This record gives sequence, C-alpha cells and structure tokens, in this order.
Amino acid sequence: MKAEVSITINGIAYSRTIPIRMLLVDFIRYEAGLTGTHVGCTFEGVCGACTVHLDGDAIKACLMLAVQADGRSVTTVEGLAKGNELHPLQVAFNQHHALQCGFCTSGMLMSSLDLIEKNPELSEETVRHGLVGNICRCAGYANIVDAILDVAQERGS
Amino acid sequence: MYPSEIEGYVAPCTVQEATEAFAKWGEETHYIAGGQSLMQAVKSRMIRPRCLVDLQKIVSIRGLHEDGSGHRIGAMTRYCDIASSRRLGGAFAALVDAASHVGDRQVRHRGTIGGSLCWNYISACMPVSNLAIGSQMSLVSLSGATRELGVDAFLGAPMETSRDEGEILLSIKLPQPAGRAGSAYRKWSLLTDGLPVIGVAAFLVLDETDRCALARIAVTGLESGPTRVPAAERALLGLAGSDRAEIETLLKDSASSLQIHSDEAGDAEYRKVLFRQLSLEVVTMAFDRALGSKK
Repeated sequence: MKAEVSITINGIAYSRTIPIRMLLVDFIRYEAGLTGTHVGCTFEGVCGACTVHLDGDAIKACLMLAVQADGRSVTTVEGLAKGNELHPLQVAFNQHHALQCGFCTSGMLMSSLDLIEKNPELSEETVRHGLVGNICRCAGYANIVDAILDVAQERGS
Repeated sequence: MYPSEIEGYVAPCTVQEATEAFAKWGEETHYIAGGQSLMQAVKSRMIRPRCLVDLQKIVSIRGLHEDGSGHRIGAMTRYCDIASSRRLGGAFAALVDAASHVGDRQVRHRGTIGGSLCWNYISACMPVSNLAIGSQMSLVSLSGATRELGVDAFLGAPMETSRDEGEILLSIKLPQPAGRAGSAYRKWSLLTDGLPVIGVAAFLVLDETDRCALARIAVTGLESGPTRVPAAERALLGLAGSDRAEIETLLKDSASSLQIHSDEAGDAEYRKVLFRQLSLEVVTMAFDRALGSKK
C-alpha cells in the first residue's frame, strides 16, 4: 500500500513514505509543497499544466505514479530561475504578456524549454505544433509563441 | 481522478524478476511500460491494479539494435528515441513517421513502442505501422519460454492481442527485406499529432527493375482497428513508382473494399477520401525511399 521513495526535485532530495497510488504531480504539490506545477484536466493527460522535466525530458506528472520517479531527478517551474534571476523564457513570457490567467503557464514554460533545448531551429509553425500537449484556455497562444520564438532566436544568434 | 488503492509496486531490473513478480502477485497484476495509456485507464478506474510491475528499469528490453539480419527494437524503447533514430531509414521509415507524431512531446518522452503494441488501441499509430512493415514480436512467458510471433498474428481486435497472461513483449524484430524496400506512414487527425481519423502505412519491396515485388498496406481509423488492404497489396504488384495514374486508380478502387464507418470525426465518404489521399502519399513515398536506399 505504501512505499518509500526519494525523489530529487530542483536539486533537493525528498524522502517520503507515500501511498503507491499517489501521482507524481501530487507528490510535487503536497509532499514537496511546490505548487507551481498545476493540475488542469485531472485524468486524461491532455492539458499539459502538470508538465515537469524528468531527467531532462518534459513529461506529464499526472500520467505517472510518484513511486515510478524514485531515485530520479525532477525539475519544476520553481527550478527555472537562478536565485532572483529569472530564466530567459520567464523574462520573455513577462515581456510579451504571454499569460492571462497563468494557469497553463508553468506547463507552457516547461514544454517550451524542452522544445527550445532540443530543436536548434524553430519557426512559428514548429513552436505551435510543439506546444500541442499544452492547452491555454484563455487562448493566449499568439503571445506565448512570440515569447518562445524570441528566446529561440536569441539563443540561435 | 485518483487511482484505486494499489497494494504492490515492483520495478525489477531483469525480465526474469519481472515475470517472477507477476507470478507472485497473481490476479489483477499489470505490467506498466510507459504508462501513457495505462495510467489513464488506472486513473479512471477502468483498471484497478492490485500490483504494478514497472518495466522501465530493464535495460535489456530498451534501445535500437542492428545486425546483419535486420533491426531489433526493445519493447521499452520510447517514441522519442525511435523518432530521432538515424538508423531506421528506408524500409522502416514508417516507424519514424509514426513515432514522431504520437500524442505530444511529453507523451513521446514516456510512451513506448511495446506498450502501444500490447495496448493495441483502436486507432493508435504503432500497431498499424508495424502491421505494414510485418514486424516480428519476441515474447517471454511466465515460465521463461520465449516465442516469436508475426505482427498479423499478434494483433487482435482493438485492445486485444495474442499476448498470454503474464507474458512480456521483449522486442520487435524488423527483418531486413531481400530487395530494396521503403515504407511510410501518414495520418490525418483532428488535432496536430492526435489519434488518426484515418492513418495509412505502406511497405514496399522492389525487384531489380524497380517494380513492386511485395506490398503491405495497412489502414487504421476503422472500427476493426489496424487492418491490411489486400486489394491494394495485390494491385500494386508489378507497378513502378512512375505509374502514378494506375496507382491512384487502384487505391481508389481498394477504398471500396474497406468496411468504413461514420462517426463525429468523419463520415464514411470522407474517410474514403482521406484513405485515397493518404495512401497515395505513403505509396509514393515508400517507392521514393526504396529507390533512395539503392544508393
């Protein structure tokens, strides 16, 4: 029923005894207290608000049990900034007003970071297609795409 | 949604430990591969596992391998690793086409080829592309006995396979065809990278005069799940990639041999149009890829 796990989140190891059925996203929110990772659709795994990085790859934390992440390394949106210095993507989201209600933003940031890091050349089309796993219900996609392209172009130059 | 209570979770490092754990826990034990479909079923409580045996730590059933006789893809190889593979060109490029557009980038980082084949969801991309290629499944039973099974025999009705209780799919073998070969897969979905309304995969082997000596065409998006199209396969024999008008006609004719249904994603007539268009694209591309592999 319960299992002991140690999951490293943003460089800090969290050792807990948890129910096997606990989802990774709930471990992040309730055991580690990192509530930047959101739960949108709750079970279909379609909204992408819970996107985090597992050993460097963007994944949906609601489609995985916490016990499956035992011994592994997770990065959440709280891990993007270095101290008080925001990540360039966070700065670009701010500058481009790439959020309205902000609910999807943490997932958008984690997906777009994965997208930028793995694709040297991005266009509006590849960014739009690359974000298909993240839904923004305010439909603020235009500014989100602009912010991501801005950072991608800066990296490329 | 929360899964129902789960009593046990095991993450073995070897196949033998996995089958032993399955045998020990018995009823309502499930293997979990990437979990991108299974976790949805577990969260909705369609499946209430007593124990989950997680295959993610078993290194021997992961990755792409190549020898003189062809390729072997470990069942736990993720979509993203197949999508970025430089080895799987020409004859097996349909798998790259399919894996590159499953779900979304998050799903492709977790989901596996073996998981998808064993789940055999009605319109998933992996079963249909493997059906066209004619992949061979390697399985191991609870007693440790291994067996090989062609994909046609492995895939059953939607969400059914001939995998026995407790059996693990180890790898997918792609035998190297005798001649030059090419394959391709295309789908049309309501959303980018979504489940196909219609998806078509083609696998062609050419003779020394660049004419089709063997064709396997498979379509998904039908109520029957992934289905071969024998009428098109027969009619393609002897044709060259330049016989475009004949190919168009035979694909149009073979569309009428399919049992096509209507639903909210598309009516039967529209699905036929999609089949004709997508099958022309994949057959053309498979010819091109086969000829490209001559060099």
